[in-house]
Amino acid sequence: MSVVEKEKNNYKEEKIVTALSKKLNKKVNIQRKKRLWVSIEPKEIVDACSIAYDMGFEHLSTISVTDWIEKNNFEIAYHLWSYKEKMLLTIKARINRENPTISSVTSLWSKNAELCERECHEFYGVIFKGNINLTPLMLEDWDGPPPFRKDFDWRKYVQQEYYNESNPREDNYFEVKK
Amino acid sequence: MVKKKTVMKYFVKAIWVFNWFNSCGFTELVPVVGSRWDMERFGMITVNSPRKADVLFIAGFQTPKSMKRAQKIYEQMPDPKFVLALGSCPITGGMYWDSYNTVKKLEDYLPVTMYIPGCPPRPEAVFDAVFKIVQHVHGMPDE
Repeated sequence: MSVVEKEKNNYKEEKIVTALSKKLNKKVNIQRKKRLWVSIEPKEIVDACSIAYDMGFEHLSTISVTDWIEKNNFEIAYHLWSYKEKMLLTIKARINRENPTISSVTSLWSKNAELCERECHEFYGVIFKGNINLTPLMLEDWDGPPPFRKDFDWRKYVQQEYYNESNPREDNYFEVKK
Repeated sequence: MVKKKTVMKYFVKAIWVFNWFNSCGFTELVPVVGSRWDMERFGMITVNSPRKADVLFIAGFQTPKSMKRAQKIYEQMPDPKFVLALGSCPITGGMYWDSYNTVKKLEDYLPVTMYIPGCPPRPEAVFDAVFKIVQHVHGMPDE
């Protein structure tokens, strides 16, 4: 691909990146074609999302959480799709692992955001302030810790909850850990 | 007095099935319904309501959430009713034996009549299980 073609392909992204960087006051990266990343402070999340919404990023694809246990924080990523520009914007915010609280975006994407946030709350224990419905989605009657956290030892939990080491039918399940 | 065997003979002439399938359960059991192993030859049909069903087929891994629904279905079925568990997942948890949210033994939650092992069980195995029920009924004493 020649340089001219490359510039031509990146032109649309460049235009949006310039406008977004100006409004958000943050550096927006072009990860690859049609994929934009931006990292923001967690308290700015609703403002950033509404700015992106006004620029055409109207569809909330999903909200994902990554557990960075060494850095002691959760990285929350909001994936927004623009039907107009055919582009995916990922807004990332890092929150403290000890007190995982962030503002809810249900004011922008009511039911859609509610469902995504319920899932994140269920599996990571992230509290979304402003979301009135954080009831369990898939794990009914769950009393353990949030299962997708890195410090949750699921194998130990299963052995305690479901199996009995003194039962000769089940003792081979305990050999796996060794 | 109506004999139990008389009732059960009518029952096994047309076994109506209600399916409760999670994950791969349905796709693996489609051949049983399809034209090659056609289960309708034996009077077995799937029904759309548990109130019409005689047998509950359970396949695929079960979670505590899905078990609650399965118990509701089981309670709605009229007597006499049976539960056939298909595949290795309801027996031991199958490949999800160390998952934090799957049911490891189905008999903790529902009265299972028969387990059909296999991952997935062959259609022949399903029919074999049904024939075992039929043979059992024909071998019942006349009381």
